[in-house]
Amino acid sequence: MRRLGAALVSLAAFLVVWKLATVIGDYPEFILPAPEEVLERGARAVASGVLWGHTGATLLEVVLGFTAGATAALLTGIALGKSVLVERVLSPYIVAAQAVPILALAPLLHIWFGGGLLARVVICALIVFFPIAIATMVGIRSTDPLLDEMLRSLGARPAQRTRLLEIPSALPVIFGGLRVGVTLAVIGAVVAEWAGASVGLGVLINIANQGLFDTKLMFVALAVLAGIGLAFYGLVVLVERRLVTR
Amino acid sequence: MPPSRAALAILALLLVACQGPVPTATPRDELRQVTLLLGYRPDVQFAPFYVAQREGHFAAAGLEVTIEHRQAPDVQRLVADGQAEFGVADATDVMIARTAGVTIRYVSTLYQSFPVALIGAAGEVPQDPAELAGLTIGTPGRFGSSWHALTAILEAGGLTVDDVTLREYPQFNQAEGFANGDVDLITGFRNNEPLRIASRGTEPDLLTLDDLAPLPGPGVVAGDDLLADDPELVRAFAAAVAAAQAEVIADPDIGFAAAEAEVPTIGEDPETARAVLDATVELWEGDQFADGAVDRDLWADAYETMVRLGFIDGSVELDEMIADLSGT
Repeated sequence: MRRLGAALVSLAAFLVVWKLATVIGDYPEFILPAPEEVLERGARAVASGVLWGHTGATLLEVVLGFTAGATAALLTGIALGKSVLVERVLSPYIVAAQAVPILALAPLLHIWFGGGLLARVVICALIVFFPIAIATMVGIRSTDPLLDEMLRSLGARPAQRTRLLEIPSALPVIFGGLRVGVTLAVIGAVVAEWAGASVGLGVLINIANQGLFDTKLMFVALAVLAGIGLAFYGLVVLVERRLVTR
Repeated sequence: MPPSRAALAILALLLVACQGPVPTATPRDELRQVTLLLGYRPDVQFAPFYVAQREGHFAAAGLEVTIEHRQAPDVQRLVADGQAEFGVADATDVMIARTAGVTIRYVSTLYQSFPVALIGAAGEVPQDPAELAGLTIGTPGRFGSSWHALTAILEAGGLTVDDVTLREYPQFNQAEGFANGDVDLITGFRNNEPLRIASRGTEPDLLTLDDLAPLPGPGVVAGDDLLADDPELVRAFAAAVAAAQAEVIADPDIGFAAAEAEVPTIGEDPETARAVLDATVELWEGDQFADGAVDRDLWADAYETMVRLGFIDGSVELDEMIADLSGT
């Protein structure tokens, strides 16, 4: 309850600062609309139904992209953590791929993967992959060597040591990567939509910004994206609390 | 015997005195500084502005112009907010922006012909828009002049966007999608995409708006405040641009030379850049170059088209979207 109260106070403070900025700066609404104007525009967007389809499409991309990217990253991270050879072979490619701006690559991926949902999920998964893979590798490597030695002495096979020791002990670090990854998944979905899509919150931002000059609607879409990011982040934190004992 | 330093100094003073007054244009510190916002990157299509800068048209008009590049929606917003004096924008975007409360007006025409068309392979572009039904069309998205052109062409054929399959390329790479065989036709700029398609070995063909639903092309915009406070400045700027544009139309070499100095990418493929400029000159001219004059009748027809297509609701009068510089 105290946590919820703190969040509400923080939100109220943010809205007050935003409102003050519009009043003091005397910005026209096409530069910086006031919070109540954005709220009113959001209510209209909800009532007209324009928001639902776009939000649903982005949610689907986030869920599929994060699931695919996180699964691949967890498996790769475990392999990287357990084998120095695998790390030496793969890590240059992983780091190089991370260094390439996804914004530059996305239009090509859009064409290579047929331009549909698959292309957007791939782009989203790529952006999610790096922090989770690296966190998993670091977590696996941070396993207590004494416990590992004990399991070995008890005759545990490599797969058993991974399942019973390395993954559980790596979970706090892995969840750190998942927290970062899930917020990046939202960005990834928008980047993917900017590379090519007919529906989604990224598309709505483009339409509102470039097509309608409707800055308030653009802020509504940004607020929904922020909400999706917060919701998924909170979900990861909830799962973490259930799985990780400190 | 070498001359003394004093003798040299006297000689120098005499030489300076004999030169008399140096003829000057408007002194630099007396020029009015203004900012012009163009599209998102330097391009040969902006040659009139480079020529106006290089050949002194702006300076002769008493202006020192700083050219900056911004994304389309930011141009309109920054000009309306007074953060820049002038910008270049699509006429159809001006109608929508103005209706949305962005206080800009279109003050001078750059393109006599609407530059966007439907483009495809020769023999595969229907000349009757009704025959577009069932085709797959690539376009940047549901915004901007490409979208307005596409919906206007479809409407001219009694169709809507539901009668075609759309594929969106927000990064403006629909020509790559066309080359990949993903779409039958693309929307694109008549002075650009056909050249890109031709460079890949496909002879292009076009379906233009000219005879279907004419729309005004891109032009210069200014903010309401500037128009109210200093219409003479706007008039001087528009006249300088029109003079430079007429110069480029008469001799594209002048425009190309100015663009080469401003556009770093021209050096990579000067032949294509020159072809783009030549195609752009044709669009500037249209039926007849009119020194930037705003064709109110064309705007009135386009206004009705934009209302019919649902892009604007008619709540803002046409006369609030354009400025008659001859009367202000």
